[in-house]
Amino acid sequence: MPKAIFIDTTRCTACRGCQVACKEWKNFPAVPTKQRGTHQNPPDLTHYNFKLVRFSEHLEGDVVQWYFFPDQCRHCLEPPCKEASTVDGAIIRDDATGAVIYTEKSSKEDLETVRSACPYNIPRQDPVTKRLVKCDMCIDRVRANLLPMCVKSCAMGAMNFGNREDMLKLAGERLEAVKKEFPKASLLNQDDVSVIYLVADLPAKYHEFAVAGVSGSMTRKQMLARIFAPVRKIGQQVRG
Amino acid sequence: MQTSTHANPRALRDIEMALERTKAEIPVLTPMVTAFGPLLAERFRLREAASGWVGPLPVVDAERFSQGVFVLADSGFQDMSAHLSEAAHGLLPIMANSFPAMAQELNTLIAAMDNGALTMDALAAAGFGEAFTVPGVNAETMDFAVAELVRPFVERQAQDLAKLVRDLPWRQTICPICGGTPNMSVLRRIRNDSEFIQAHGGRRFLRCSCCATEWTHKRISCPSCGCEEPDELVVLSDPSRPFERADACHRCKTFLLCLDTGELADIPDPDVAALTMLPLAHQARRQGFVPLAEHPWGGL
Repeated sequence: MPKAIFIDTTRCTACRGCQVACKEWKNFPAVPTKQRGTHQNPPDLTHYNFKLVRFSEHLEGDVVQWYFFPDQCRHCLEPPCKEASTVDGAIIRDDATGAVIYTEKSSKEDLETVRSACPYNIPRQDPVTKRLVKCDMCIDRVRANLLPMCVKSCAMGAMNFGNREDMLKLAGERLEAVKKEFPKASLLNQDDVSVIYLVADLPAKYHEFAVAGVSGSMTRKQMLARIFAPVRKIGQQVRG
Repeated sequence: MQTSTHANPRALRDIEMALERTKAEIPVLTPMVTAFGPLLAERFRLREAASGWVGPLPVVDAERFSQGVFVLADSGFQDMSAHLSEAAHGLLPIMANSFPAMAQELNTLIAAMDNGALTMDALAAAGFGEAFTVPGVNAETMDFAVAELVRPFVERQAQDLAKLVRDLPWRQTICPICGGTPNMSVLRRIRNDSEFIQAHGGRRFLRCSCCATEWTHKRISCPSCGCEEPDELVVLSDPSRPFERADACHRCKTFLLCLDTGELADIPDPDVAALTMLPLAHQARRQGFVPLAEHPWGGL
């Protein structure tokens, strides 16, 4: 049964427990960083950071509003990265859970091709193995009937995991409740993705790639990726 | 006190999925799951179809209740004998199929019901422990069959009664509805919309061996003797399945199976979970502990 993660950013306190828990479960090392005047650290997703709590500040009248956005792969129902893939079996979608997985064959993929196809700017590359990497929905844990690590670690109830239909129902209920206080609240691309965000304000205030360019249809990048996929595939075969 | 019930339309599918998962993850339990799975599924169907408590619900004296007098202390469950014939013709053939060694006796039981040698009133009474013999049916088989037959109706009535005491304090280790002894506990993480940090561990619910009512109880204490000494309380578990454990007490030598659902993606039916924990129960018994109350498969 397809699964989904519902991220209620209105409950997120940016403790970054999910970010740390993800790294710990994957046994990733620390990455060199420095103080940049923000709690967002590291500044972007890396091959050792599949989950990143993004911080952004906006001046609303005389008040500074702080927005938190636990960014990660959305596990699209029809993944554009998979469409853009030129290597068979490099990017797969697990039917049982809906998780989009980059396999070891992804080391033969072109990062920019796959990354430009992603409307959420998620894929990264391991500089050593050249493998493309991102969140895999903790597929090892989910197959063992355990919650993804980020969900398990969330102390505020912002992260939720379950059957897609249940998560959509929960998301709808929360949206209704949140809208009473925040009329601009919305769910982001809930019909297209397995990681559904609830935001209280305009998505662009949270993150440049919080929401896909054109909701419910392909972005320009996706469309181009699909158009050129056969050409790239031929090129890949020619190059061997 | 918080109580918990599991009535939801997907529950049967959840039971079947949990049984399949057990077979896949612990192949050695396949014969047990194959034998008891159909029984658990049919019990669920009967429970969902049962009418529950009929007529006005009993009046609960909050003061007496808070002093430890359970809801049915003065009465007992309502008579369900009118429904037992139909239920028996559904359940007993399934049991005969699942437990071939008992098939002949179970068929004898069905025949006794059909020819009037065993009345439904007697069957219901036998379900609550009254001795009744049917020629050709072993006493143990009789107890097992009638207990399983009556159980879905009891559980369904208990679901209705639990609503009466949901907000009343209950600190006992016996069931607030029927006074039964728990045969397992479940740690459940209850989602709430509070603005505060939520506990990761979840609350501990004891589960009645008779009517399957669940009620909250403190986490660190033996439900049999109340012991809270860390040196006396032991946790038996398999490192590969950290969400399952047996909480045992050296002081009274009892144990209680415990399912920690806090980390689980799909929460299994508690009966299926208990069946899956059979190796843990076996380990506890080998170490000299006895269960606080048995499951149907406990004697195996």
